Amino acid sequence: MDNSAQENKDRGKKGRKLHALRHAMRHSLTYLILIFGALLAVIPFIWMLSTSVMSLPEATGIRFFPSEIHLENYVNAWEEAQFAEYFWNSVQITLITLTGQITFSVLAAYAFARIDFPGRDLIFGIMLATMMIPAMVLIIPNFLLVTWLGRIGPIPWINNWPALTVPFMGSVFSIFLLRQFFAQVPDELFDAAQIDGAGHLRFLTTVVLPLAKAPLMVIIVLSFMGSWNALAWPMLVTNSPEWRPIAVGLLNFIDEAGQQINMMMAGAVITIIPILILYFFTQKQFTESIARSGLKG
Amino acid sequence: MQQAVGSVERAQRETPPIGWLQKMLPGSRQRRIREYLTGYLMIFPASLLIFMFGIFPVGFALFVSLHKWRLRRGDFIGITNYVKAVDSLAYVLLFAMGIGAILGAVLFLRKVIQSATERSEKPWLLAIPGFFHAAGLIAFVRWTVLLLPEVLDIAQKIIGVEKTQELFYRLLGEAFKVDHVLSAFYQFLLLTALAVIAGFIASRIWRHPRNLQYQAQLAIVWLATILGVFLLWFTYSEAVRAYQISLEAGTQIAIWPQVITIGSGVLLIVAAWFVWRSAEGQPTNRGFIFRLLGAIMMLVAGWILIAVLPPVIAAGDKDLWSGLKVTAFYSLGTVPFQLAISLFLAVLLFQKLTGSEAFRMMFFLPYVTPYVASAVVFRQMFSIRPQAPVNQLLKALGFDTLRWIQEPEGIFTLIAEGLGFALPEWAAGPSLALVVIMIYSVWVYVGYDTVIYLAGLGNISTELIEAAEIDGAGRWEVFRHIIFPLLSPTTYFLSLIAIIGTFKAFAHIWVMRHELALGTVDTFSVTIFLEFFDKVRYGYASALAFVLFAIILSLTFINNKIQGSRVFYG
Repeated sequence: MDNSAQENKDRGKKGRKLHALRHAMRHSLTYLILIFGALLAVIPFIWMLSTSVMSLPEATGIRFFPSEIHLENYVNAWEEAQFAEYFWNSVQITLITLTGQITFSVLAAYAFARIDFPGRDLIFGIMLATMMIPAMVLIIPNFLLVTWLGRIGPIPWINNWPALTVPFMGSVFSIFLLRQFFAQVPDELFDAAQIDGAGHLRFLTTVVLPLAKAPLMVIIVLSFMGSWNALAWPMLVTNSPEWRPIAVGLLNFIDEAGQQINMMMAGAVITIIPILILYFFTQKQFTESIARSGLKG
Repeated sequence: MQQAVGSVERAQRETPPIGWLQKMLPGSRQRRIREYLTGYLMIFPASLLIFMFGIFPVGFALFVSLHKWRLRRGDFIGITNYVKAVDSLAYVLLFAMGIGAILGAVLFLRKVIQSATERSEKPWLLAIPGFFHAAGLIAFVRWTVLLLPEVLDIAQKIIGVEKTQELFYRLLGEAFKVDHVLSAFYQFLLLTALAVIAGFIASRIWRHPRNLQYQAQLAIVWLATILGVFLLWFTYSEAVRAYQISLEAGTQIAIWPQVITIGSGVLLIVAAWFVWRSAEGQPTNRGFIFRLLGAIMMLVAGWILIAVLPPVIAAGDKDLWSGLKVTAFYSLGTVPFQLAISLFLAVLLFQKLTGSEAFRMMFFLPYVTPYVASAVVFRQMFSIRPQAPVNQLLKALGFDTLRWIQEPEGIFTLIAEGLGFALPEWAAGPSLALVVIMIYSVWVYVGYDTVIYLAGLGNISTELIEAAEIDGAGRWEVFRHIIFPLLSPTTYFLSLIAIIGTFKAFAHIWVMRHELALGTVDTFSVTIFLEFFDKVRYGYASALAFVLFAIILSLTFINNKIQGSRVFYG
């Protein structure tokens, strides 16, 4: 009896050891695959960074890592290649778009969620249907429209901020997202606010908005990415550096720079950095907001 | 706007506080109207912008696509742009749309009749106000279509003159007062007045809560009927015009035979589907087999009739055809790979290993990066220079360097050449330049798909997996029979997004396309943009954009049908 129990125990120990070994092996294979995948994902970034601090002969040569670090590439790109201007243009465009988009979307989403008016569902349905329309259908008429508006209006639209921002201020997706959120705010809160004498706008700004940080964050992230990614539209409506956003600036620079790969990469790094900062600081919300939207370009 | 809302709100605050109960009391009507106004004011700015830059442009694009339009508006040329793009298929589709509108009207009318007889109501006289509603709406559309070019021309008239508000208002007033515009406007006013009067009288004669609903439904029936008849007439007149032109040029065209063969082919296939469905319900084997055979014969006959379609489309624009081919290659070369890789990675990451957060972050990095920047990096890594990183890698592995983004030659041809034999042209496959773009796309989207798959995996109950493991299922069996089927909604969602995405793909292809790749990387969206941006053919580019829209819509529709039958929602 004793003997067999001892045997069993031994076998159990052995088995556990074997199991642990197998476990480790299995995991080491998993790690191997994951590290390989992560390398593939990151290598272009490493190459970009290392090339961006090379001297020109090294950048066009076969080195992967620089022999000495030339940070002046960044200074050159920032000042001479006008990346400073492009960068601030993009920042301004993003801020103007965001301000308009958030104000208008919050107002509309609140009305769609909490005010009963005739035709509400019809209007909302038509808005949702417009999300199906591909951008290529809209780009030509919108270009004509914006040109026309600039000709007849007090300020030009082409080569100016209105063409780059105003068409993006009415965002169906933002309205949809906020509406879903506002509809969940309990009615009791509104009744209480109304008894205290607060109207819709007061209720919206003091009660609902402070609760809506999460969906607002989603909108900020997406519209930030949207204006940093936009290429076709800004290419059409800007033809001078004055209001050219950074993506178009980078593309233009590549056409002019010829073989100055180090400068190109410095420009690419400057383009990427703001998004990366936003990503690293708000990693979780950032990932979630994109996962929830299913949208990019 | 802000102020306006503020004042409404202030007005509201001045009224004594109310509870919901008091809504029933007198004065509630006033309050309700104030509530409506607040709602309309709050949605006004966003709705205006969405209408201006999201809804109106669709009609405007349609308008542009029916014109010869290069920088400025030229003549109205009907569907010539569409015929140039897809040849006689344009007539077939227009004809089908006309038939579809009439069919839709009939089906909708049947539904209305059914629901009316169920309630034993007879709303048929309401067809009269319904007709006027529909006619008023059509008159409004006609007026805007006539007004639009006059208003657009203001921008031309204003060039070189000092821009003042008065001048603009004067020109705008003139645009409204052009003879045919004005008469269209009076027609619209008259019909609207008639509609209002008829609607009002009808609601007085037959006081019924569903009166207005019936009026609206019957108006929709009228609208669809009129639209259908108009489309059929338009098809007819366009075809007649095309016949006349070809007669003068002494060439032969065959629009009507093509319309009839393709149309009846489609009809046969639809009918075959219905017969097939009814076969499933047959109690006897003989009935089942007969119906099945009938369905198969109809299907074959339908396909034979539709077989004229490819030569018809091939007679259309070569650029469009090659754009579609490139897009198909691009879809096939990216979507399956990116889904497979990301599913694999997601399953690995889901084991909650230490550091899986860090891995997820790194995989997601390419997706976060702005397209233009990462595409620029890829463009340099896959450059033709022998010192470029990828060519260096090839050299280190003992291969010859390649031309990558500048190589128009097909990938299979290149592989076959490397192995020492030649391939026929049809087997060339996507060009090497396109393969680089495919690699880039997979690199970008794997991170996104992984994150979505991880979310999907999080929704699978662990009990199910544990139960299977207790029953002795191995890792592969668990994956094959539990995880994969339960993830099918996610896979469906991702593949739909990815396929539609390949049709919309633009920015990264634009950055990575090289003149020397000879247009072998120009997907459909890029083709449209080139037509617009480089060749300045606005009308034709708009027509192509609508072809793209039609393709995306039908892809979504087909996907929805498949989703119904194949996706398992647990």
